Amino acid sequence: MPIVEGLFTWPSDKPQLIASKCPLCGSIQFPASNVCNNPECDHEKPPEKILLSTEGTLYSYTIHMYDLRPPFEYHKAPFAIGAVEFPEGLIIVGRLTTTDEKKLKIGMKVRLKVSELYADEEKSYLTYFFEPVEGEE
Amino acid sequence: MTESAIVSAAITDWMEAGTATPTAIERLTVPVIEALKRAKIKPKDLDAIIMNTTALPFSEPSYITISAQHFAHRIAEKIGSHGAQCINVCAACASGAIALATADAMIKAGSAKTVLVGGFDNSPRGFFYQGPSYLDADLTVSYPLKVVGITNPAYWAMWARRRAYEMGKSIEYIKELMAIVKEIHSEYGALNPHARYKKTFTVKDVLSSPVVCDPLHLFMICAVSSGGGAAVVMDMEKAKKVTDKPVKIAASTVGSPIYGEPSPRLVYFATYTGEKAKKPFTEWRKPIEAAYKQAGITAEDIDILECHDTSCFHTINWIDQVKGWEREETDKLIKDRQIRHDGQFPVNLSGGTSSFGEAVMSQAFVMIHELFLQLRGEAGERQARKKLEIGLCTAYGAYGSYGAIILEKGW
Repeated sequence: MPIVEGLFTWPSDKPQLIASKCPLCGSIQFPASNVCNNPECDHEKPPEKILLSTEGTLYSYTIHMYDLRPPFEYHKAPFAIGAVEFPEGLIIVGRLTTTDEKKLKIGMKVRLKVSELYADEEKSYLTYFFEPVEGEE
Repeated sequence: MTESAIVSAAITDWMEAGTATPTAIERLTVPVIEALKRAKIKPKDLDAIIMNTTALPFSEPSYITISAQHFAHRIAEKIGSHGAQCINVCAACASGAIALATADAMIKAGSAKTVLVGGFDNSPRGFFYQGPSYLDADLTVSYPLKVVGITNPAYWAMWARRRAYEMGKSIEYIKELMAIVKEIHSEYGALNPHARYKKTFTVKDVLSSPVVCDPLHLFMICAVSSGGGAAVVMDMEKAKKVTDKPVKIAASTVGSPIYGEPSPRLVYFATYTGEKAKKPFTEWRKPIEAAYKQAGITAEDIDILECHDTSCFHTINWIDQVKGWEREETDKLIKDRQIRHDGQFPVNLSGGTSSFGEAVMSQAFVMIHELFLQLRGEAGERQARKKLEIGLCTAYGAYGSYGAIILEKGW
């Protein structure tokens, strides 16, 4: 099950991030919000849900070398985090599928993927990852 | 127009985070009483008391022994209350600067003539817990740690890597620059009796410390600490009666998130769409530019800087933003060691958060205290060699909380 509901479409063969778009000013937000965040918008209509592109460009990244503390101890080091520029105009942070720095380069194409983040005795918890697009390495 | 001035300032020794005894209230009363004595006033002379302390939903309940909603009131009662206007300011790492800005505004508005400003914090150990609170769960800000595992240092690491990339430099280049910053800051921490870390670190020590999240090594990231400080602010007319060296608040500004900021920043999942600012870190820059305007000065007039350096990248980025010049010039300044006490632009002669560790809500008092001493020529071995007229304190916090204070010799 998704670790948090409402971030990506699931179950799906081609999962996408769920964002919101203001029908008036066009401002897009991830995660989806119930209200537009543009200070120049007159807020006459609420934002609508949209699905974001599945590919973006790596803006920056880091490899985290320490485990997180409880209650987030399931984030076990090493794990990689990237900031990805989407064609829709926003940069989104997410886990990267690889911690191999040789496979990571700012400006490379990455693709959205949903995979297991961790599992306990009862359930498997899923989150979104960014995976380097083949041929980009 | 009414002017305001700091007439006294004092801070506690910064100690390990989680230090439970003496209590926060007891520890803060020491610099509070010291500041009152130096200002030659008694608690009954205070028109207002503005305090900050933490209210984050930290995961270790034992740390939540103090509360942001009544800290000023408790201090008032502790030192002798007479019904002063008590205000609690809670704005992450920028809290101290914002408390001072509030005092400045009250004095200029005429609602107070003598204000006690202070703060204390006892930070939680390890990476800050910034998960969803059941009272405040909002997908847009509360979940990145839970879903992505992204900590504050991870955001800073990505900024540092991006800066190197945009300059066409290697990761080793930005690492070395950050290590030089640590080396220099630690030299002054060693000379500051209030700093928690009095050890000097060499570039080699820093680069040999474990990697936390590349390019940030452990010694490039501040520790978490406990500590606090206080200052007495008066209108200039009164200030001149109690001290011959009042430090004028030439400007005080407060900042918040800015739509159009192009870089990913803590603690959000995503940046904005819409028209993007051409340069990143508009949220850092705007309170500073507003402060320059308020004080009627330019970047060139700033003689000395105290900046919120939760990582060594922050010092670099603050200089970029404060100076508003090309990044290469910042790097040259640092590599030429011109941010030392004998340099052309001294930065963090207090030793910085780097040497103190961060007591989140009260960290700005370290900076304000240092600028107060530096401008008055009372910083001892840390005293800047150049002639000082104007100093800038820049504080930065999570969720887009910023404050900038310009202090100037008032005599």
